[in-house]
Amino acid sequence: MMTVLLQRRISGHGRRSGSLAKRWPRVKERPEIAVDWSGLIAQIALRGDREAFRRLFEFFAPRVKGYLLRTGSSEAEAEEIAQETMIALWRKADRFDPATSGAVAWIYTIARNLRIDAVRRGRRAKRMLQDIEAEYRPEPVESTETTHGRSQEAAHVEAALQRLPVQQSEIIRLSFLEERPHSEIAALLGIPLGTVKSRVRLAMNRLRELLDDLK
Amino acid sequence: MTIEHHPPEELIARFAAGRLDPAEHIVIAAHVAMCARCRRFVAAFERLGGAALEAAEPAALAAGACDAAMARIDAGDTVPAVPRSRRAEASGLPRTLDYYEIGRVRRVAPGLTMRPIVVPGATKSRAFLLMADPGTRMLEHTHTETELTCVLQGSFSHEGGRFGPGDFDLGDETIDHRPAVGSDMPCVCLVAMSGKLRINGLLGRLIEPFIRL
Repeated sequence: MMTVLLQRRISGHGRRSGSLAKRWPRVKERPEIAVDWSGLIAQIALRGDREAFRRLFEFFAPRVKGYLLRTGSSEAEAEEIAQETMIALWRKADRFDPATSGAVAWIYTIARNLRIDAVRRGRRAKRMLQDIEAEYRPEPVESTETTHGRSQEAAHVEAALQRLPVQQSEIIRLSFLEERPHSEIAALLGIPLGTVKSRVRLAMNRLRELLDDLK
Repeated sequence: MTIEHHPPEELIARFAAGRLDPAEHIVIAAHVAMCARCRRFVAAFERLGGAALEAAEPAALAAGACDAAMARIDAGDTVPAVPRSRRAEASGLPRTLDYYEIGRVRRVAPGLTMRPIVVPGATKSRAFLLMADPGTRMLEHTHTETELTCVLQGSFSHEGGRFGPGDFDLGDETIDHRPAVGSDMPCVCLVAMSGKLRINGLLGRLIEPFIRL
């Protein structure tokens, strides 16, 4: 499942040359991967487990902050959103459904939504405070979509991602999620600057195809 | 309801990463709400986002940040959610719009009205609902920048095909078109527009100052 994706991480010194396989080895390098984050979230929902919260906080809060710093947030904003993300995790723990999204992806969406909110708040002081979650996770219009259907959907998505070649998921991540400039991506992957754009497009088309094929 | 026209992958990707202009965000959100195919694409991106998060270089929080978070939880420190207006729901508009203030109806041209949507933080584009009477033919026009459209009700057609509920259309400066609204029912679209409309031809130049979009 997610483990395959999680092992392909960019290290701080990604400029080494060599094959992608060398840079993102498939061997397990991070023992934390074995932690059952969904189980810890369930413990919070079931009995307000503070120890579970602390473990989630210790792992995720610094990563949320690091991710936000990487993608352009200020120190103060990253600190605040990292805290708010964890507070939101506590409050929404009972609404987390491990069958429809992985714990890590769920936490990502919380942080992302809070960052959007912060951007909007910054631009207009008298902004309406709102839970923008509904905007991001709009209820599907089709009423036939059941919980069972949703977890099947999640399995489809997971299967498509597993079939996506490592290089392609990596370039999507570098470009859209880590928001690295094309020049940096070219240097990281050791490819000419001029081909970054077409490779990104190729990767996204491939992802679309894989998602469509599984239907 | 078969959706045939989808947003370009790049727009959905930026939507999923939370990096679209707020006005454009609403239009993509409306499409995604109606389109299972694009919901899957968003879900895939969110998983990659999770992987990016997990791989991020950790940055230490202030000392005692976890206790501070617990204290805020205990204090019931919440960001109060604004009650949904339900205005949108009542009028058959997508739920996405429940969270926005929708302005009064304004006449744009014969057979064409619009309602502005108040979008906090929108700097690049503005969002509005565009309502056209059945059979309305728009003048041939171009966009100086981009126009994102999601059909909510009814249909229109142009050289690019027929666009019904849920369909997404992208207009830019390279596209010269003359949409015609389906004759069976009024057409309601959610639009995010940056730049201006350019109406072609002499007639267009004459009436352009009167078209208020």
